[in-house]
Amino acid sequence: MADTISLIFNIVSFASVMVLIVLGLGVIASMMGIFNFAHGEFVLLGAYTVYLSATAGLGLWFGIIAAPIVVGILGLIIERLIIRRFYGSLIIAMLGTYAIGLVIRETIRGLLGGHYESIPEPIGGAFSIGGINFSIWRTIIIIATILILTGSWWMLARTPIGLRIRGALENPMLARTCGISTTKLYALTFAFGSALAGLAGALIVPLYQLSADIGIRFLVQAFLSVMLGGVGTFQGPVLGAGTVGVMASGLPWLVPPVLADPLVFLIALIIVKIRPQGFIAAGRS
Amino acid sequence: MTEQKLGFSPTRRRFLSGAGALTASGWIAGAAGSWTLYPGRAHAADPIKMGIVTDITGALAPSGNANWQVAQFTVEQINKDGGVLGRPIQLFLEDTASDPNIAVGNVRRMIQEHRPDVVLGGITSAMRQAIKDPIVTRGRTLYIYPQLYEGQECTKDLFCTGPTPAQQCDKLIPYLIKVLGKKRFAMPSANYVWPQVINKYARKIIEDNGGQVIFEEYYPLDQPEYSATISKIKDGEVDCVFNTVIPPGLQPFMKQLYLSGFQKNGGILTCLYFDENTLNYLPAAEMEGLYSCLDYFQAVNDPFSEKLQQEYSKRFPGTKYLFTAGTAATGMYRGIKFYEVAVKETKGDLHRDVVAAAMDHAVIENGPGGGAAMVPGHRHCKMNMYIATCQLEAGQPYYKIVNKADMLDPREC
Repeated sequence: MADTISLIFNIVSFASVMVLIVLGLGVIASMMGIFNFAHGEFVLLGAYTVYLSATAGLGLWFGIIAAPIVVGILGLIIERLIIRRFYGSLIIAMLGTYAIGLVIRETIRGLLGGHYESIPEPIGGAFSIGGINFSIWRTIIIIATILILTGSWWMLARTPIGLRIRGALENPMLARTCGISTTKLYALTFAFGSALAGLAGALIVPLYQLSADIGIRFLVQAFLSVMLGGVGTFQGPVLGAGTVGVMASGLPWLVPPVLADPLVFLIALIIVKIRPQGFIAAGRS
Repeated sequence: MTEQKLGFSPTRRRFLSGAGALTASGWIAGAAGSWTLYPGRAHAADPIKMGIVTDITGALAPSGNANWQVAQFTVEQINKDGGVLGRPIQLFLEDTASDPNIAVGNVRRMIQEHRPDVVLGGITSAMRQAIKDPIVTRGRTLYIYPQLYEGQECTKDLFCTGPTPAQQCDKLIPYLIKVLGKKRFAMPSANYVWPQVINKYARKIIEDNGGQVIFEEYYPLDQPEYSATISKIKDGEVDCVFNTVIPPGLQPFMKQLYLSGFQKNGGILTCLYFDENTLNYLPAAEMEGLYSCLDYFQAVNDPFSEKLQQEYSKRFPGTKYLFTAGTAATGMYRGIKFYEVAVKETKGDLHRDVVAAAMDHAVIENGPGGGAAMVPGHRHCKMNMYIATCQLEAGQPYYKIVNKADMLDPREC
């Protein structure tokens, strides 16, 4: 019983990490149609912000709060300077984001001197209920994921700005005719997606180690999640991320860990083959 | 006198002007140039040409730069004392960029361009495998590999100066079993050659000493989630984790292991590659009680080692590239000193076969952690090995030496 509970806890906490990371990617992919290859580096930047804040003596919490703001602003700048020029050709936009990611990653690798840096949890340790240990930071991540999910969903589904974003997504031409500035909305959406990535990086880095490659680790699985869940909705990528997260952390219990990673892809590809549109089909008719 | 002063001038080749400092500090991967370190002018004789090929940029840059600094430090010491039989050593640096594909081209070019008398370097086994052909076979040059590794490198004219599995396991594992009373081992490992080979060796030593391997498991190098492993450790009542997981998978593993209460409940964790660089790598609490076995720790306080450290800190004040065993830096020191001894024996003959014959039984009296002696015919060296455990003092981790093995045999080739 105790084992089952801690198994479930670990799987849920890893699925939360995946959802956190995929959320920003999914928002940008669904709302703008762009697969942001620099997403992993936005996650890295969020983590790096926490590291900078900690080394500057401002503390971890300050870094965690600053991360989405810093990365969001950077996302806005990148969208205004580069991405907006490529909305006509999505493949070029994708390659462009890859280049941006490369620059960010290698710059931070240089700044870190190639080292791995350890960042402690703001609240470390574990608490125990009925003799079962639960990591406090993992619990916080689960709670944070739920809050961020609810908040993002509420913003997109229940606020006027969310309505405009969805409108601009479904029919940009009509939205523009109605006097909605789609360029502004796209910039905002990209900044929002980037901010989510920054926050994800800030929250997960205490579980791992800060290195230039922290984002890459999750990027491919994040793309898989978006593909699995289906592009074009808010819920799709989240569901996809949850599924990939559960598989990635659950499979090592059943098969040798080296096989778990490829198996995640295999299962996901089979699902995509059966349901090419993803879990949730795009376009609310 | 300019004798101690060493000029540092980059050659022009493939070198972006003004980017030198950035390249050296790891900013521009792949665009690194070659560097030459000229001895002072006071030496009249022709210099001995020594090539250093190491990972100045890329993922292994911290280790590579430590190797390069130790090479400079050691050669400067030799040159200051009059060189080898009056001949100074001239260093050539080639960046291997943590990428065997890039390295092969760079190394080949260095060999053709500078015709070094000896080449030292390489950190990972993949790198050694990639560059040994351009150095030894095609380049017909003596090659010294400095890093602790999985053994089984028995190429002619290739000498290894880092610890082998036998040196790391032969004392440590009996110590864990007989002294600490741990019998049930788990072997969580990163999926590449070093863990696979050393586990095979360690398993034999564990079983020979009455221990038992509960499980041996391999993970992708960057696996972020280890709950299944932790649960196996718990269920299998493992009392000693023989860890060969490496970064970036290391931190999540260590964190999850610590949070599971493994150490608190009396479990012992060993990490064979842990040196002073890794002390602040992980939270102090996770480091406490960890065991490692290496050819040198800074806690080894024989007068020679202590003086060496002091001089190194004086040469590179405040450097983040430490003179430690886990990064091949101690092997680099030994390699250069072995070569010096061998050339002295050949009376300055630098021909490869002649020097190799002298290297074969070379002995160095002193070094970090003590002297070392090549085992004739085996191209690996006997050296002192130290078992250390990590302890905390005022929250700061440090290594305490708990056991020393004198001149342990490498048992290779």
